[in-house]
Amino acid sequence: MSPELEKCSRSLLVCEKSNFTKEKSRYDIHVSKHYFNYKVSIVIPECASLPASIAGVINSFNSYYRVRDLPIYKLLEEEFLEKVVKKGQFYALSYNTRIDEDNTIAFLPSGQLILSVDKDTYEQLGLEGKPSQYKHRKVLRYVVTIDLTDKLMSPGAKRYQRLITSLKEWVPIKCDLMISSKMTAEEDGGVLQNLLSQYSFEEHRPTLHTHTLKEMPCPSLHSTDRHGDEKSCDPHHFLEWLGAVSMDISSDNEASSFLSTYVCPDPQSLMSHGLLCTVTGFLIPEDIYSLLLELRRYFDEPKFTSWLSMTVHGFVDSPVSWGTTEHGFLKSGENFYNFVCFRNQDYWLHMATGSHDGCPP
Amino acid sequence: MEEPAAFERLVYKNASNFHYMKICLVLENGSRNIEAAQFKQLIVSGLRQLYGEVGAAFPFDLLKFDPGTLTGILRVYNSGLVKLWSALTLIGSYQNELCAVRVTQVSPFLLALSGNSRELELDQASPTGEKLLLT
Repeated sequence: MSPELEKCSRSLLVCEKSNFTKEKSRYDIHVSKHYFNYKVSIVIPECASLPASIAGVINSFNSYYRVRDLPIYKLLEEEFLEKVVKKGQFYALSYNTRIDEDNTIAFLPSGQLILSVDKDTYEQLGLEGKPSQYKHRKVLRYVVTIDLTDKLMSPGAKRYQRLITSLKEWVPIKCDLMISSKMTAEEDGGVLQNLLSQYSFEEHRPTLHTHTLKEMPCPSLHSTDRHGDEKSCDPHHFLEWLGAVSMDISSDNEASSFLSTYVCPDPQSLMSHGLLCTVTGFLIPEDIYSLLLELRRYFDEPKFTSWLSMTVHGFVDSPVSWGTTEHGFLKSGENFYNFVCFRNQDYWLHMATGSHDGCPP
Repeated sequence: MEEPAAFERLVYKNASNFHYMKICLVLENGSRNIEAAQFKQLIVSGLRQLYGEVGAAFPFDLLKFDPGTLTGILRVYNSGLVKLWSALTLIGSYQNELCAVRVTQVSPFLLALSGNSRELELDQASPTGEKLLLT
């Protein structure tokens, strides 16, 4: 059989182990740079119901808006740019666009506009961009990154006028956007609400689901484990187990079973019950960071478990994964990270990306 | 209180031994009662048809099967992914009824299959508050 048939595309998993209280640990930067988040899953062994403090943090997550057919140049008009986009708390991503097929738009909180467009749109736009890093033989996709905080892009400047003309007259790009802003109406002078009211939009709240896990095997994890130790299971098997829990996959099969031979990785213990909690929507890093801080406080009182886990899934069709690192979709567009928080404030951080992605930070 | 752990950072490239696939069986005449074992047998026979007894002699797991929606989650060794995927593509009939297998998602991480943002539906405004599914 040809060896070509046995090849697979590349995937990367970065595993970082440290302690939350260490000054040099960069967990907060990793969370804040992962801008577009679709789902957060929390698994807490030996926990029967969602603690009120964690539920409170989730209920205070930011609402987000879905705006229909919004012309992109409207978000670049002077007042909106100065009062909202440049303030560092504005997130927007085109809704229902596929990064491998369609034109995709994103506004980053750092004040950057990302346009990931096909070849024809790029040539018509006439803006300066780069070919996508993930191309086969021909270049079919281009990425235009515009720093709206740059002096050369200030309203009135030549390059700003050209950008507005491109998006207003040459290629009037309109799309459905998911928008989230941490600023209140008082802080931005009502500019966002004013813009939304000119178009069809809906406000959405993140959706919360909780599920109680019944008696099941659970991996044993020890924070002091280093690479090669056998006290804990390896990262891939642990992430596989988390996936099995999230999708209600049985993990007590016989080795001779016809259907599935999947078992919980060793070393393992029996969990009498556990909590699986998922929050879905257009979630911003600030909210996820607040949730992580609250999860760290879970161990302020004695608990039966020594660890809990939080997984954050990024949008598979986002043009960026962490920071401005280009993200693409080959067979899959996974870009997720997972925290395992221990009783003593140690943490393990697993960051995973697929083939059309740069290495996580 | 235990001592804080020392810093460690490792990068694994292609370290997952498996790929995971979320698939769906679509029948010409709508859904029907199919057991998990029958579904797996359909895939095994598809593999045998394309690659023969020896070529199809590699294991894969049907981790989960939903008989209501005819969706399943498969786990296969990396070396068997292309063969399994190609065999799924060419499955054309089940018990003399025309059918097709749709591959919804493929990933080297099972966890990634639980967070597919392409499933996000915002066409109706979501109710405020939470949905609690305690089972």
